Formats: sequence, structure tokens, C-alpha cells
Amino acid sequence: MITITIDGKKISFERPVTILDAARAAGIHIPTLCHHDILKPYGGCRLCLVEVEKVPKLQTACSQYVSDGMVVRTETEKVVDARRAVLEFLLINHPLDCPHCDKAGECELQDLAAKYGPAMGRFAEGKRRYPENLEDPLIVRNRERCILCLRCVRMCDDVQGASALSVTGRGSKSYIEPFSGGAYDCEYCGNCLAVCPVGAITSRTHRHGFRPWLMEKEVETVCSYCGVGCSLVLQVRNNSVVRSVPRSGLGLNRGLLCSKGRFGYDCLNYGDRLDAPLMRRNGVLERVTWTEAINCIADRMKEIKRENGSDAIAGIVSGRCTNEDAYVFQKFFRGAIGTNNIDSVAGMAYGPAQRFFEKILVQGVTANPIQGISDSDGIFVIGGDPTAINPVLGLQVRSASKKGVPVIVVGHPGGLKRYSKRAFIMNSAAETVFLAALVDEIKRRRPLPGERPVLEEIINGFRPAPLEDASKMSGFGPNDLVDTAHALSNMSRPSIIIGRDIVQTDTGHMNLLFLAALTYLLNGRIYLLSELPNEQGVLDMGCQPDMLPSGRPLTVETFRKRCEETLGIIIPPAPGLSYAEMTEAAHEGRIKALYVMGEDMVLGLPDSNYVRGALRNIEFLVVQDRFFTETAKYADVVLPALSWAEKEGSYTNLERRIQLTRKAVEGESIEEWKVISEISKTFGLHMGYRSAADIFSEIARVSQIYRELTLEGIADGKSVWPYRGGPLRYDMHTEGTKLPDIVSVMEESGMSGVHVRREAHLFHSQNASRYSPALLSITPEPHLKIGDILADRLSVKDGDRVKVSTDAGSIVLSARRDPCLPDNVVLASTFDGGGIFEITKWRVNPITKAPASDVNGVVIDKEEAITVLHKDRADSLVGG
Amino acid sequence: MREISITGGEPLTRKKTALSNKILRELNDLKRKYDNERFSLLPALYLFQREYGWLSAEALEKVGEILGVPKTTVKSVSTFYAMFRHKPMGRHLIQLCTNVSCMIMGCERLTDILKTRYGLGPNATTHDGRFSFLVMECIGVCDIAPAMVVDTDLYGNLTEDSLIGILERYE
Repeated sequence: MITITIDGKKISFERPVTILDAARAAGIHIPTLCHHDILKPYGGCRLCLVEVEKVPKLQTACSQYVSDGMVVRTETEKVVDARRAVLEFLLINHPLDCPHCDKAGECELQDLAAKYGPAMGRFAEGKRRYPENLEDPLIVRNRERCILCLRCVRMCDDVQGASALSVTGRGSKSYIEPFSGGAYDCEYCGNCLAVCPVGAITSRTHRHGFRPWLMEKEVETVCSYCGVGCSLVLQVRNNSVVRSVPRSGLGLNRGLLCSKGRFGYDCLNYGDRLDAPLMRRNGVLERVTWTEAINCIADRMKEIKRENGSDAIAGIVSGRCTNEDAYVFQKFFRGAIGTNNIDSVAGMAYGPAQRFFEKILVQGVTANPIQGISDSDGIFVIGGDPTAINPVLGLQVRSASKKGVPVIVVGHPGGLKRYSKRAFIMNSAAETVFLAALVDEIKRRRPLPGERPVLEEIINGFRPAPLEDASKMSGFGPNDLVDTAHALSNMSRPSIIIGRDIVQTDTGHMNLLFLAALTYLLNGRIYLLSELPNEQGVLDMGCQPDMLPSGRPLTVETFRKRCEETLGIIIPPAPGLSYAEMTEAAHEGRIKALYVMGEDMVLGLPDSNYVRGALRNIEFLVVQDRFFTETAKYADVVLPALSWAEKEGSYTNLERRIQLTRKAVEGESIEEWKVISEISKTFGLHMGYRSAADIFSEIARVSQIYRELTLEGIADGKSVWPYRGGPLRYDMHTEGTKLPDIVSVMEESGMSGVHVRREAHLFHSQNASRYSPALLSITPEPHLKIGDILADRLSVKDGDRVKVSTDAGSIVLSARRDPCLPDNVVLASTFDGGGIFEITKWRVNPITKAPASDVNGVVIDKEEAITVLHKDRADSLVGG
Repeated sequence: MREISITGGEPLTRKKTALSNKILRELNDLKRKYDNERFSLLPALYLFQREYGWLSAEALEKVGEILGVPKTTVKSVSTFYAMFRHKPMGRHLIQLCTNVSCMIMGCERLTDILKTRYGLGPNATTHDGRFSFLVMECIGVCDIAPAMVVDTDLYGNLTEDSLIGILERYE
């Protein structure tokens, strides 16, 4: 026990803490500048100086640890004098341009000078002059205001791990800059500007437009970009969101955000929002009233139901819809239309993967807290770059790596390049063979745990390919494979991080089985990367063709009956069509009416031409979206939707945390659930909800996994399912699963030539970021990453235009050289419609029902003069 | 420890700062010398400066890439030290001491000569790219003041005539 006295107060601690933390515990405020809760103690600014008895010099409270019997005084004359002096030194160079500084009003230096310091320095010499740097599209640097506390550099190095900022020069002539000295070449997380205590690093998105004292309200909510679900605060003025900021004590992101969360909020204020329903009359979409639109939908859907039966109607939900919207949507389809043809974007990869792992391994194996990643003793990443798809989760991987935890990546390492021990990039067939070889090698090193006999039987019975063949096909030496297997075998509690690209491929079902075997052998925990904020939620809500709310199979009569009784509806007993199957059915003319809520199918599904064909074949298409999307162009009725910041609701993140999204601004539309319940009324199904809370309480009644929760109750962000230990899901039997004969994969794959894979982009999140000017300013167009060897062969430089062609057509993309890539794999970003989905062939995996997102045997040419001749065509292809 | 080789990984000869086999070998030796790759940062920077005369942004990037140190860290370290040069230098570098002993012993006359004869002021390079001139703080040979270092050769007890004579030897 350590007992110390601070300003006369006695206080005891179990473990040594810093004087600063001790003072805080005693309720005593010590001013700081370079200290920040997220960062390690630094002791650079000398503002937290305190007097310690028997120590001749003043001590920095932020870095000095307490010891037993210490007597500390925090506000003596000597201390106050020293603080005043420090502040005066800072004011030698810090300009007093507060009136037009964006930081004014929330500037820590301003506050401290007001409390302790002189208003200005006594220095007669001039201040240091540097022009403000406006070269970057998003971040403004003002070196004059910088006080060199190095919070930004430490944030960038130690926490974000991007190492994009550093100090140039020495002493009073030093300043902070990115490597280029001008524009940033970084991840644009903006965490540097968040920790800057003064106005040296500011955001351009609200430049000279933000005044903290003019904000009308601050709304705590959850980010709507990816499946991590970071908490953020939206600052609102004049019914418009001026800034989104994290709070250090709030949510699982603990004060951090990524580029999308910090800058992507501006899609809320994007000009081309839909504000009235549109209806197709004589081939043209015209503005109509809500009543007209709703009546039209009701009439046409009833007509189609009468003529073609309920199963000719289908519905698709986006992973951006709230739980409440998704729940009402499936209730409408099951209860009013009478079909189970409901699926979501999560049905493409996240859903099948989760279902498979939970089925074959154990319930909840994919439900793990994100913070757990940094506590694991090994990390295996496959199918996507976590630092791009779920950046705040990716930081956990980096933080583990810094502690010495080995990180092994299969696929492009992306933001984990400096943090991974090994990265293996190859085509998708080779990945399957590689995984099989790993499972076989690990099997020899680790005993089977004896927990799941079914899976052990599969693992024991599986015939791997000879190591030499596997190594030849993957392009890595046998030693690489053996070493990797050895490294994995040494892990006792690894995190297995899985992205959707491993599922969305021809051999996706095999990959899942091998990954399950790997997880089982290594006693791992699975993290499924989720590109949308509510993929988990829409699954939980029953937006699946064969599952009821709470993930219970609809084919089991007792579950169906219980659900029918609680809701007072009749649910058809036969499972409906999955997302991919619906698209196929539409293509074949079996789906006559389709209701798409929040999803842009043309850009979201591989093979855009196939999807366009499917949409054209649909007799009656309803699209409900915030923007006039590519899919909306084919619609018969377009309904405007509200964004996540304009309504109440809840999101369930990838770790199953159910979080509240609050209304920050008034939108120019009606909540989706309200619109659907209006349509439902015409079918005779009265839902009678008055608010999102009403819907949530019904969800809590019908769903075992949301039971006893209320919308107000989840506001603390601590509601994670499964909880209280009870079984939540029906334990499904594993039948008919067997590990594939890997030799046949090698023979049948036929993967030769250049293989194009999808690249999930850090600055873009499927199609929502298309409407964020800030995110577009960082990366305005999609690009193709080419390895050096291939690029040299084609004599392609960064920024050159290249044409990527398959049988399905060709696209023109801007090239980026990437030294990591081998010569037979290229990566294409898919945002904004210019990506590979234009030239992917429609292939659906029969087992996972996931459409493949990769394409093999592409031809890449450099576009020379042709680009100029056919510029319009190239532009139209690039622009989608 | 990662080996550097011309064949494996990224071809190092691609960029303008083409790396000779010699420098690669030396870098490999350096990396073997230290446990931590960061420790070889300063010697690696010296190596590059010796080879190219100065440290271009590309060179800094390359050093970072080879040692596995972020390029921003490399820049930060290299700009901290006054003897790393960050702009192109002439074929020969004159580093003339102007600190106390050399000043007393008349280094000012020498700087005047550089100005009048070669048109060379401090921190400048002649038009023909032959000489660059940097003013040095003490090079530690006060006994032979005034002194200078040309490239890696030390000269002391300089006079106007001896300075001109010495410089004539550097083409």
C-alpha cells in the first residue's frame, strides 16, 4: 500500500500510479498540455510541474510515479510561477491569432493562459513565421501555432501505428510535418487533429465553420460506416452536422476514429439527397406524394401476389438499415406478403460464414470482444485487411503486434505490412490449397482436443495434397508453409480474423471448412470482419430466407409457431430465396416484384451487367434509399430514406454489441419502418408502432437474444449478446459436411494468368462513401494495384491508365504500383462502380450461396493514346 | 533478420537512386552488426550520404524501406543532425571551419577567396557543380587552424595560396 499526501489530502494506492493520476483520484486538477489519456506519459511540456517534499526540483506529475510517504503540493507559489513561465515561453512563438483560429473556444493553451499565464510573451524579437499549409485536401497544418507537445506524433506512431508524422529539424526550428512536407500520405484517421491541444492541426471539412460555443446540441451516437460501431458525438448547428468527434471515455473506440467516422459524416449534408417519392409514369420517374407512392406499391404488390403468388415477391435489406427497420421489413414480408424471400447484404458472406462456424465449432465462437484481439498470443488474418475494413479493430492487431505477438496474413497485408511477420499473397484457388496444407501440417503438431467428434472425423479423414504440390501452386517454398504451420501451432489462444473475400470465391465453402479446422486445432476465436454497421443486426432481425428473428430456423415448427403466436401473423413454412438466388430468379423472370431497402445492388453485387439484366426483368421494383443510386435508375417507385443520424434506432456490431443510434438532425423524409407499416396496413396487417422503442420492445419479446432489453437500456453500449449464459440459438446438427479432396481443387481450379481480387478500401465503404466529398477528396477514383514485376512488364507507372478485360467486358482504372504483389495477382477497389464488379462473371457458390467477387484470367493493357481518343467511353466506364 | 538482395523482393534498382551491389553489401553488413535494425539507421544514412553526396527524399525512403523503419522516423533523425545534407551537393564538398580558433587564425580571408575566385558563398554550390561550401562549427583540429575538410581530406594551416592550390586538385 502506498500512501501519499497531495495538497494536504491523504490518499492510498495499491499500485504505483503517476502523481497526475493520484491527484485526479483525489479530485485535484493539475494542468497538462503534452499529456493525453490515450498516450503514454511524455513529460515534454513541463506544465504539470508540482512540488514534491524533499526533492529540490519541481517534478512532472504526468511521468513521476508516487512512492510511499510522498508529500506533493500542486498549487504553491513556486509551482504557479513555473507554470506561468512555461506558458510565457510557449507564447514567444505561439501567435495570438485566436479570433480566426478554428481551435478558439476549445484550445487548451487558451484556457491555461487565461488561468495562469500572461496574455503574451515579453520577447521583443519577432515570432517564428511559417505559411499555413493547405496542400492537403482534409488536414490543415499551421506550424506557427504548434507548441511541439508531440501529441500528434505520438498518437500517429504509438496508437494509430501509421507513422505518418514526425518532427523535422531540431530545437526551436523544429516543426511537425508528414514525410512529403505538404500533403499527407496516411490513413487520414484524423486522430492527430483530435489530440492537438492548439490549432496547429485542424480539419478542413469545417474550416472557419466551427465555433464550439455556437453548437446547438451534441448527440452521442454510433458510426454508420462499418461493423465495429464506434461511438461518436455529432455536433449540430442549424439542423446540420458540423463535426463528428469521438470521446475518450465513450464506447469501444475509446477516443479513436478512422477516416470514415471522422470525415465521412459529410454525406449527411450531401446535396443530392432524395426528398420526395418518385414514381415511374410513361417510362419517366416523376415526383409524387407519399400517399400516391404507397398506394401504388400496395396495388402493384397485391396484383402480383394475386397473379403469381407470394413467392414472386422478394425483399432485400442493406446492412446499413437499423434493427428496427430490418425487423419491420421482415415482418411485413412474412406476415403481409406471405413469403420468406427476404435476405440482406449480410447473406453474401458474413452470414454464411458465421452460420457455418457456429454450426461446426460452437455457438458464439464468432462473438468476441474486439479488445480481446490485443490480448491474444497470435493473430491469423485472411480474406481482407482489417485496418481498411474495420480500422479501429485493425488497431488492436497493430497493438498486439507491437507487444511481440506474431501476425500472419494470407492475402494482401495492406495496413498490416509493417506489423505482420509473414504475408502470403496468391490467387484464390492457391489460398485454398495453402490453407489445406496448413491444416495438415498443424494436425501433425497439435493433438485433437476431442471436443467435437464430427469435426475431428472430418479432419482425420481428409486427404491433403503433397506439400510440394501445394507449395508449387501457391508459389511459396515448402519451408514457408512448414514455418507458418509451426508458428501457428505455437499459439495457444490466437485470434483468427476473417474477411469476406475468402468466402466470396468459388472455393469459399472449402475455405470455411479449413478455417474451422484451423480454429479448432488452435483453440482460436474468430472475428468476422464486417463492412457494414448492422450486418449482425439484420441477421438477428430475421432478414434471412430461412431464419426467424433471433437466428432460429424457420423450418423447426415449434420456433415458427411461437413466433407466429407472439406476432399474430402466419409465417410460411418453406424457406425463401437468398440474395444471390433472388438475383438469379429475377434474371429468369421468376421474381416479379422486388423491394430493395438501402442497398445498391448494381454496385454491390459482382457482375454488374448481370444485375442490371436482373433488375430490368423485374416487373415492379421499389427502391428505398437516401440517394438516387444506380439501382434506383431501374425502379418503378423510389422512396426517400432517412440517414442514421436522422432517426432513432439500434445497430448490432460484429462483436454483438447492441448500440443506440440517436437522432441528431431532422431529415426530409419519413422513417422506413413507418413507410413499411403504412404499406402493411393496406394488406390488413396493422403494426401500430409509434416509435422505434415500440419496435424494439417487440423485438425483445420475440427474440431470445434481445430479451429484456429496451431501447433506452442499451444506451450505455454495454449490452452484448449472448448473455447470462443461457442457450440462445438452436444447436444445429452438422450433417453432410466433409473436407474436400484437395487434389481435385488443384486440378479443377484452372487458375492461370492474372487474377483480380477485390480490395476493400480504407477511405471507402461500399457505396455510402460515394456521397462524401471529404472521402472522395482523398481517393476520388478506384484504382488497380499492380505488382512491380507485372507493372514493369507493362511499363506502367503510378497514375497510368490501364485497361482490365475479361470476356464480360473491360474497365479502365488508374494504376498504382505495389511492391508486395506477385505478378499473377492484382487488386481492384470496387467503390464508385468503376471496380471489378463490372467485369466479374456471375458465379454463385452452391453451398454458401455467396457470389464470387474475384475474377481469373484477366488481360491487362496499358492505355496509351486510346485513352484520349475514347476518353468519353473511358470516363463512363470509370465513373460507372 | 531480413536480407537485402537484388533478386528477392522488390527490385531495388527501379528508382532513380539506383543502388549499387557494393552499397547493398555494406548495408547487409551493417544490419548484421546490430541487434535492432533501428540501430543501423545512422550508419546507413552516412553510407547513403557518402555514396550520393546528400540525402534525397528518395534515399530517406529507401533507407526506411531497407531497415524496416518508418520513413518519417528516418527523416526526423536525419534532419536532427546538422551534418546530414538534404539538398544536392557539388562534386566536392568544402567544409571550412569558422569557429573561434580558425576565426582568430583568419578563416575570413579564406571565405573571401571562395567568394571572389569561385563565386561561392556559404551553403551554396558553384554553377558548374564542382564545389559546394558549408560553414563548419569546430572540426576539432584547432592546432592547425584555420582548417577545412574537402570531401574526406583534412587540410590545416591554410593560407590564401595553399587554399587555391588544394582546391585546384579537385576537379
